[in-house]
Amino acid sequence: MPATGTTKPLHELSIAEAGAALRAGELTATALAQDALARIAALDGALNSFITVTAERALADADAADAAFKAGIDAGPMQGVPYALKDIYDTAGIRTTCHSKLLVDNVPAADSVVAAKLKAGGGVLLGKLSTHEFALGGPSFDLPFPPARNPWNPEHIPGGSSSGSGAAVAAGLCRMAMGSDTGGSIRGPAAYCGTVGLKPTYGLVSRRGVFPLSYTLDHCGPLSWTVEDSAITMEVIAGHDPLDPASADVPAPDFRSGLDGDVTGLKIALPRHFFGQAEGVSPEVLVAIDNAASLLTKAGAIVEEVAIPDYELFNAVGRVIMFSEAFSIHEKDYRERPLDFGRLTFTRMILGATLSAADLTQAYRLRRELAVAVNHRLLKQYDAILCASALAPAARFDSMSDAFPPNWPIQTMPFNVTGNPAMSMPAGFSASGLPLSVQIVGRPFDEPTVLRVGASLEKALALTGLRPSTATLRQAA
Amino acid sequence: MSETSAADLKLELEVLLRRAEVAVPADRMDAVLAGYGDLKRLCALLRQPRTAAAEPSNTFSLVTLMKGV
Repeated sequence: MPATGTTKPLHELSIAEAGAALRAGELTATALAQDALARIAALDGALNSFITVTAERALADADAADAAFKAGIDAGPMQGVPYALKDIYDTAGIRTTCHSKLLVDNVPAADSVVAAKLKAGGGVLLGKLSTHEFALGGPSFDLPFPPARNPWNPEHIPGGSSSGSGAAVAAGLCRMAMGSDTGGSIRGPAAYCGTVGLKPTYGLVSRRGVFPLSYTLDHCGPLSWTVEDSAITMEVIAGHDPLDPASADVPAPDFRSGLDGDVTGLKIALPRHFFGQAEGVSPEVLVAIDNAASLLTKAGAIVEEVAIPDYELFNAVGRVIMFSEAFSIHEKDYRERPLDFGRLTFTRMILGATLSAADLTQAYRLRRELAVAVNHRLLKQYDAILCASALAPAARFDSMSDAFPPNWPIQTMPFNVTGNPAMSMPAGFSASGLPLSVQIVGRPFDEPTVLRVGASLEKALALTGLRPSTATLRQAA
Repeated sequence: MSETSAADLKLELEVLLRRAEVAVPADRMDAVLAGYGDLKRLCALLRQPRTAAAEPSNTFSLVTLMKGV
């Protein structure tokens, strides 16, 4: 049963609220960090969202943030805010395992760019989060660490591959968690765990120091409890990195400019054919999407049904590129230590070995055609797209199998193929109490409009006060 | 393209894996074979009608090739 209350506990303060309280002197970063660490200790035994908890580092970061505030130094909106990183983000001196036996003892010498930016911005690092192995193989029980679980019901998956990120934010263990998204790995956990998950425009956030799954599909982005908190995080992490070959040399937009949520006159495309008859789509998700469309219309947006290329074309392009690029990265280990991969990673990634050069080239050709269809035709007439993220609530662990594709229905891959910004956000609850979601997609580098639409929906839906019950987690931990 | 029989599909996969110099343990072969079958289906979808002018030349550009060096 979701918990509500008139007095907000510390762990329920958003980044924006905590930031205001820190700057008003009503709260210290140390208190926030201690609360977060106590909560992790009490609850994460049932969730397995953390692989490594960096308690000493967190308290040191918090102490530094408090000293900075006292000295009148303000490094930005993440100063004093507890966050965590998917365990594929390099952290200097802190193991970065990719949740794999192959890297279980890996300790990087340098921070990834995102980790360095959050540190320089005064953030408080709580630890490294559970992930599907190499951001692909999961949920798996044959890896060095157990898989993360869904805080709304731990018998259910939290989604992946940023599984720990979704679980930790939903359980109030951290305010923000970094994830990565190659085919839906930020948006899937966000959908299943009832959080906001933003996959930014390709190239907007540096991937340097983040273990790659697929070079031309990988995106780095945040999961957070509110739309505003994702906007705030983007202010800190976005920006050109001349040493990331894919980094976009464009000025970062003003991410908070749309947070008033005024969607008057915005034209929003609804490709109902994409998800309406999709395999595995839940009637509850369809109702949630229709409800979101209705709320946006009431708020002054113009929502129109449109047709875009079939989902399976995007899926084909994405899978062929992902498996080709991923296998090329791990080819040596497949030849020399294949059984050190978990079973699911092994059986999925090896498919890259079966593809031909012509398959990959055809994928690149079709990729351009699909990107033109979305960006030069559809998004020249519309400001955003409203569509499905996860097609059904989170599945149970005991329903998972070796089946390929993994048997959770989700429609996130298209916007990795095209590189558009795409955000999954809560849109209601299923009859069984599990989160439902929608996906909002924007023009390249127009995150402000995506966030604007998201802010409008968030306000209308009024779901941010509903949290997973922690009573059950405390018992199980 | 005609449908491949189950036996031919397995043979095809075994040849491709051998070419790639990777081996699949017996207890994982069924899962890999199922994945290969689905991926073949997806590869067929890539072959949409298009002319030689439909090119992805944007994937190679001298302007961006030296980025990050």
